[in-house]
Amino acid sequence: MNWLPGITTPLAAWLFALLVPLVVFYFLKLRRSRLEIPSLALWRSVIEDQRVNSPFQKFKRNLLLLLQAAVLCLLVLAAMQPFVRGGAERASYLPILIDCSASMAATDAEGHSRLDVAKAEVRDIIENLLSDQRVTLVSVSDAAQRLTDFTNNRRVLLDALDEIEVDDVPSRPEEGLQLAQALARTFDINTVRFYSDGNLPTRPDPSGQPLAVVDFDLPFDLQFHKLDAAAGNMGVTAFNARKSGPDRWDVFVRVEGSDAAQTGAEVELFANGVPVGAPEPVVLEAGESQRLVFRYDSAEAASLEVRLRPDGTDSLTADNIAYLDLPVSRPLSVYCPVELISYRHSLEGLGDIELSPQGEEQAASPRVAIRGLRAAYDLVISNTPDDRDIEAPTALFTGLVPEDLQTLVSIESGLAEVVDWKRDSRLLQHVQFQGLEITDQPTTAADVGDADFEELGYEVLAHGNTGPLILKRRDGPRLSFFILFDTDRSTLPYRVGFPVLISNIVALAREQANLSDVRGTATGVLPPLVLKPEREYRIDKPQTDSVEQTSDVDGIVKGVAARTVGTYDIREGGEIVRRVGASLLNSTETSLHAVDEIHFRELSVTAASAPATTDRPLWPWFAFAAFVILLGEWWLYLRRPGGVPA
Amino acid sequence: MCSEIETRAPKPACVINRHRHCDSNMPEATAQFTSLLPNDVLARVERMRLNPMRRKTNHSRGEHLSGKGGASTEFADYRSYVEGDDVRYVDWNIFARTNHPYLKLYKHEEEMHVVLLVDASRSMQFEGKFGLARQLAAALGVMGLFNVERVSAYSCRERSEAPVIFPPSAGRGSMRRLLTFLEELPGGGEFPIEAAIEEALKLHRGKGVAVLLSDFLTLGDLTRSFNLLHSAGLEIFALQILSPTELDPELTGDLRFVDSETEQILDVSSVGELLGLYHEHREGLSNHLAALCRKRQGRFLTVSSDEDVKSVLFDRLLRRGWVR
Repeated sequence: MNWLPGITTPLAAWLFALLVPLVVFYFLKLRRSRLEIPSLALWRSVIEDQRVNSPFQKFKRNLLLLLQAAVLCLLVLAAMQPFVRGGAERASYLPILIDCSASMAATDAEGHSRLDVAKAEVRDIIENLLSDQRVTLVSVSDAAQRLTDFTNNRRVLLDALDEIEVDDVPSRPEEGLQLAQALARTFDINTVRFYSDGNLPTRPDPSGQPLAVVDFDLPFDLQFHKLDAAAGNMGVTAFNARKSGPDRWDVFVRVEGSDAAQTGAEVELFANGVPVGAPEPVVLEAGESQRLVFRYDSAEAASLEVRLRPDGTDSLTADNIAYLDLPVSRPLSVYCPVELISYRHSLEGLGDIELSPQGEEQAASPRVAIRGLRAAYDLVISNTPDDRDIEAPTALFTGLVPEDLQTLVSIESGLAEVVDWKRDSRLLQHVQFQGLEITDQPTTAADVGDADFEELGYEVLAHGNTGPLILKRRDGPRLSFFILFDTDRSTLPYRVGFPVLISNIVALAREQANLSDVRGTATGVLPPLVLKPEREYRIDKPQTDSVEQTSDVDGIVKGVAARTVGTYDIREGGEIVRRVGASLLNSTETSLHAVDEIHFRELSVTAASAPATTDRPLWPWFAFAAFVILLGEWWLYLRRPGGVPA
Repeated sequence: MCSEIETRAPKPACVINRHRHCDSNMPEATAQFTSLLPNDVLARVERMRLNPMRRKTNHSRGEHLSGKGGASTEFADYRSYVEGDDVRYVDWNIFARTNHPYLKLYKHEEEMHVVLLVDASRSMQFEGKFGLARQLAAALGVMGLFNVERVSAYSCRERSEAPVIFPPSAGRGSMRRLLTFLEELPGGGEFPIEAAIEEALKLHRGKGVAVLLSDFLTLGDLTRSFNLLHSAGLEIFALQILSPTELDPELTGDLRFVDSETEQILDVSSVGELLGLYHEHREGLSNHLAALCRKRQGRFLTVSSDEDVKSVLFDRLLRRGWVR
């Protein structure tokens, strides 16, 4: 480390030339009070005294000149902007990434949040910025936001720093790094500083230890400053419900503790604001978790809320509450044309299903029916292209090639067989296609591959020998499956896997319709809300602010940011039409587990827990010294009227 | 070269006693004989006399006893008659009893010369220095006149001008002239004190006491002048009169000093820092002058111009034995 101070503006050294006119003007313009005295005899002998002419006395005689020269030198040195070199590499353009994920709200024993500590360190950097240094502040949670341009304007930077608040969302450091990478294309960025508590998404390494891996190529030097650990924490990391009967829900709550010592709490469930049962006590060892099961009997929609009341220190409050919206309990409505006998037969074997069409309805065949705000059906199984217009969150079409794929694939005559299929797909779980005989032969056009299907939003679930056999498409909230061949022209309906396939699509449809499993909504972005089409809605957020949003032609409002834990009221004309609760529900954030190292593709970055010693400007000290000398000079020469005998 | 000032006592317009000066502007009860000294001071100094350390007298008769036998009426001793002695001094009564001639010896009283040398240069025109010098000269001169000394006074101003002198005079009748001379003594000029002494000695004859009234702030050397005084048979009574500003200056900052006599300038920076040295040099000058006087059996005293003349005369000079 170089202990010699650096100089930011060496050209200012030319100002030392001002010493010459200073000395000249001092002697030319020195104003001496004229005083007539009886005789110079005594004063002449005083002046000729050897002691007066000693170097020190000469110095004292020209003290004013020396003081003025010292003031000028100090001011010139201040103008040269010297600085004490810090330990960190000096950077002209420095992006500072500040983690503001939920865990940064965790407080230590003194009550300071991790974000407050990070802000204090960044504030120190800002206040010691040199004139040639530019800093940009980036807040990083699950998304990165650039708060300032590259600037050394302290007021702008400090204002932006003060505005940073914790988002109750998980951390995604790669978002901030990608933003810094984008900045590096425009600015000469060699170093990026990242302030975090080290609570980053991890995955287990081969030995089972959690490893913070960021899939990112570092084009710059990353300085990872890890903040000190917070106190212990306990929180709700999962909150969901499963239908266990026609009017009964099993509500699951997972409570986790941090790596600190043993903690205890009480967990209480509320339905529409009314407690459900007695509070459940929970005692967790360090790093442990526990699942609690509550039973809630109701056929109506309900807003569940679980509250955790820790017995001792709890550094994070955002994870002490979670919300869950239970739908109205009803049977799954399925539309399946009567000609699909095998499908209807399989569906009739499954319970709690309302199958359409039935009896006279079958004759009328009202394919599209609107049931209030709900979709027409929960599941559509059809072999007719016109049925694609039926409103349903889940659909399965057989013997049908979507119109947008008809240029890519055609149905030829011939035998096809299943070459491979995605066994982990929810639709094809436990379905065996080996030996399946298909008389339709979906054939892809020349030079068409999987990528072409993916470009159009399709995922191939089963490959035939000449082309895809089963496709999946996610179109907003709607999930569609396409079996390109006619199942009645295959041996599939006669195989054991067929009812399994139907059972899978029904399970998926129940999930899509929130009829079987309901999960608490995590913070980040609210799920798409199905409301009235093309209406103006106001969404009131937990912290008093609100946003206006218009539903689309399908009545869907989506992309509503939910950065804070709490309930979001969707109002139409001032009246609440929907209430959605968003919860943290993140095991990583609740655990407050901190990593010491971030693994990138090619290298790892180790955390530095000590505050970074940055370059510290010295000009305020020089300016202060000049001011002190000026004050001393003033006191010395103006304490009594100069030259006038008292 | 020298010019003598015609010093005549102003003729009073009305008949008054000798201690009363006729001044129409002054009330009768407070009329002063001279503007130099208050009447009470004048009355007191008339009863005082100078007290020289040595008997430097002239051969002419006076009131100062010489070491030699004299012809005064005061008996001193007897001695055997030797051939050539004046038989008029033989004590015939003793001769009748002892048949051996004894000569009666009488004390010899000689006249002492008091020389007043007043520095009237411009440096003495500050803060009452010249005024105090004239007052002290008047007081000491009156002492001399009232004790049958011959008193003369010299004052030097300009190099180009001859000294202003008060010719040697004796007797009480000369007091008015002496006081008038001192009252009308002009001031200003650049004549240094050492040159003034030498100039005065060219005109003066007679032994006695030389009272030097000056600030002695000169760039020259006073050794030669004092030697000349000593060799001329004059005991040096040196009174250094300094102003309060000279004794204890309170100055600070950068100053340009201008010599009042020569108008030379001297730039001094940080005067306040040099005051300590200034005091050392001032005391050094006083000590040097005192040593010069002491080596020549003289006396030296520094007084401040703001001191009252009574305090100087009746306290400091009396205590130090200058007068009695």
